[in-house]
Amino acid sequence: MKSQSAEKKYLPDMPQKEVEELNASVKAASERIMADNIERMKKTDPNRPAAMQYFDEVSNFFGMRQKEIQEAKAQGRKVIGYLCVFAPIELILAADAIPVRVNSGWYDTSKLGDRIVPVEVCPVIRSTIGAKMIDLSPYLELSDAVISTLTCDGQTKLSEILSDAKQMWIMTPPRVKDSAQSLHLWKEEIKAIKTQIEKLTGNKITPKKLKEAIETMQKATKAFRRLQDLRKGNPVIMGRDAMLVNQMSMWDDIKRWTKKTEALCDELEKRAEKNEWACPPDTPRVIVTGTPMFWPDNWKLPTLIEEATPQGILVGDELCSSDRVLYDPVGIDEWTMDDMINGIAERYLMASTCPCFTSKDGNEDRVNWLLNKVKDTKAQGVIYYVIRGCMLYAMEYSRVKKALDKVDIPVYYLDTEYTREDVGQMKTRVEAFLEMLSARVDF
Amino acid sequence: MTEPTKDTKEFWRWEEYRRVCSDKSWDHKDVITAGVDVGSVGSKAAIMIDGQIYAWAVTRTGSNSPDSAKKVMNMVLKDTDLTQNDIKYTVGTGYGRVNVPMANKAITEIACHAKGANYIWGPSVRTILDVGGQDIKAIHCDQTGRVTSFLMNDKCAAGTGRGMEVFADLLKIPIEEIGKVSLSLDEEPEPVSCTCVAYAKTEAVGLLRKGWSREKVLAAYTRAMAVRMANLISRVGLEKELVVTGGQSKNMGIVSRIENILGVKTLPSPNWREGELDPMLAGAMGAALLGKALYVKAQGN
Ligand code: SF4
Repeated sequence: MKSQSAEKKYLPDMPQKEVEELNASVKAASERIMADNIERMKKTDPNRPAAMQYFDEVSNFFGMRQKEIQEAKAQGRKVIGYLCVFAPIELILAADAIPVRVNSGWYDTSKLGDRIVPVEVCPVIRSTIGAKMIDLSPYLELSDAVISTLTCDGQTKLSEILSDAKQMWIMTPPRVKDSAQSLHLWKEEIKAIKTQIEKLTGNKITPKKLKEAIETMQKATKAFRRLQDLRKGNPVIMGRDAMLVNQMSMWDDIKRWTKKTEALCDELEKRAEKNEWACPPDTPRVIVTGTPMFWPDNWKLPTLIEEATPQGILVGDELCSSDRVLYDPVGIDEWTMDDMINGIAERYLMASTCPCFTSKDGNEDRVNWLLNKVKDTKAQGVIYYVIRGCMLYAMEYSRVKKALDKVDIPVYYLDTEYTREDVGQMKTRVEAFLEMLSARVDF
Repeated sequence: MTEPTKDTKEFWRWEEYRRVCSDKSWDHKDVITAGVDVGSVGSKAAIMIDGQIYAWAVTRTGSNSPDSAKKVMNMVLKDTDLTQNDIKYTVGTGYGRVNVPMANKAITEIACHAKGANYIWGPSVRTILDVGGQDIKAIHCDQTGRVTSFLMNDKCAAGTGRGMEVFADLLKIPIEEIGKVSLSLDEEPEPVSCTCVAYAKTEAVGLLRKGWSREKVLAAYTRAMAVRMANLISRVGLEKELVVTGGQSKNMGIVSRIENILGVKTLPSPNWREGELDPMLAGAMGAALLGKALYVKAQGN
C-alpha cells in the first residue's frame, strides 16, 4: 500500500505501458517538427548564418544538451527548472546548479492535460501538465526542483499539480511593483529561494560566487543586446533565427551561449558590411507581443509571418519566451551581498513587463516597453498574439491597442489554440495584415 | 410536427450564372486582367478591360480548387471573344487562392473585397462586411479601397453561406427566398443561442418539433447570425458608408437585421439580376483591379 505522502493529488496513475507508448509517439512527432522547423528556417534564408548551426543543435530537446545535463547530474550537479522568467538565474548559477526553463511548447501534450483540467485552461499550462504525465520534457524530468512564480491563475494551480511529481519552489511576485512593500516582499522571496537553492545543492552562495554569476549574466545580456541592436537595421537575420537564439539561452550553458551569440553577431556584422540581407530590406517589419511561444511546436506564428506572401520579417517581440529573457542586466553599485540581492530583486521585479502587474496607472511598463521596441526596430505593425485561455494577455489588449493607435501603428489581435489545425485560417489573417503593411504593392 | 424528410429538390442550390458586357469592345493595347476568387462555397471570376468590368461568372466550388478555378475561368471566357492568352495578369484570391493555376499572384480576399467594394460603390465606402461561405470579415478601408484594419470571425461556419445552405435544405425553402421568408413574421423571435452549424441544426429540428413554424425558426437563426455580424462590425468600428459583400449580401434577412441592430443603412446593393454589378463578385473584381495595378507597375519597371 502506498503511503499517504506519496498519494497524488492531481496526476493520474497511468499504466507504465501507456506512458511509454505516448512518450514514444509524441517524441517522434516532436523530432519531426524540430527538423521541419529548422528546414523551413533554412529555406526562408538560403544564406542563413553559419553560426546558426550551433543553435539548431542545442534546440534539439533530445540531443546533446540533454546528454550534457545528464552527465553533469551524474557528477553531482543539481538541475533547477523554472516556469517563468521571474526565477533568479544568478542565484542558481552561483550555487553551481544548472538552470533550465521547463514550460512546454508541445501541442500534443495539451490534449493529455485535458484529462486533468478543463479545455478552457491556458494550453501552455495544459501542455506542461501533459508533458509531465508522459515524462516527455527532458529538462523537467532532469530537474531536481522547479521554481514556479505565481504570475497567473494557471501558473498557480500548475504548481500544485506538478508538485505531485516534482519538488516545487513557489515564489509569489507582488502584483503591484511601485510600492515600497512590494520590493521588500520580493526581496524576502529572493532570499528564501536562495536558502532553498543552498540547501538542495549543499553549496553556499558566497558573495564571490554571486558576483561571478551576476557578471556571467551581464555578459550574456551584452551579447543578447548586441543581437537585438543588429535587428534594428536592415534585415541581417530572420526573426525566427533570432528567436531561436534567444530562447536557447534558457536551456544552454549560458557561458557557451554567450560566446556563440557573440560569434553569430560577428558574422552578422560582416554580412551587413557586404549588404547581404536575410530578406529584401523593404520587407514589412513586424513585432509580436502576447502569450509566450515555446519551441518546438508553438513556432507557428513566426513561421507564418516569414513564409507569407507577401513576406514579413519579425524584427522583435515582447514575449517572455524570447526578447524579454535577457533584456535587463542586474545593476550593482557595491558588490556587497545585500546590494547584490537587492539588484537581483529589482531586476526580476521592476524590469518585468509581464501582464500580471498593475498599478495606479495600470501596466504602464509593458506599454512603454512595446512602444520603445516599435520605435527602435522601426516596426510597421504589431501582431497581438493570444492563446485562448490566457486571460491576462487577452484582457490587456484594448489598452495596448489604444497606445499603438496613438502612434499610428496598426495592430492585429490574433487568437489561436495549441494546435496545428488553424494554421490555414491564421494564414489568411497574417497575410492580409502584411498586405496592409506592405508598401511595395500599390493597392 | 414531423421532421422534414429528404426531398429530391435541392433547396440550397443557388444560381450559377455569367454575364458579358457585350457593348464593350477591346483591342490588344488594352490591359486585360482577371480575378479568380475561389471561395469555400462559390468560385467567382471577373475580367476587366483597363480597370472596367467586362465579364463575370459565378459557380459552385467543387472538391478541388484548381479545377474550380479552371471551371469558372472557362465560364467567364465563354461568349466573349477573349482567350486565356489575352489576359495579361491574373490574381487569385479567396480560400483557394494559392491553388489558382492561371494566377500570377495570390492576394487575400480581405484586400480584394475592399478594392472591389470601392469599385462597386465608390470611394465613400469605409466599412465592408464580407459574408462568405465559411467565414465573416469586417474590413475598414480608405477612399482608395486600401485596407486599414480588419477582423475575422472564428472558424465556425454558422452565420455564413454554408450555414444558410444547411438551413435552406432543412426547412425546404429555396435559398433565394430565405431572406424574404425570414422577414415574413410580424414579431421577431428571440435569436437562437447556438452558433455552431452542427448544433444549430439539431437545435432547429428541436424547435420545429416543439411546434415552431419554419418562418420562426429561420427568423430566429437569421437574427442570431445578424447579431454576430453586427458585433464583428462594432468591434472593428463602424464607419460609414457600410456595405455588405459576398454571397450573403443577397440575403435581405441578414442585411436588414444588421441595419436594424446597428441603426444605419447600408449602401443599396446593385440589382445583379438586372445586369448590375454583383456584390458576391466584389472579391473577384477587386482581384482583377489589383492585377491591373500590379501589371502596370511591373511594366513600368
Ligand atoms: S500564457 Fe497566460 S495563462 Fe498561460 S501561463 Fe502565461 S500568463 Fe498564464
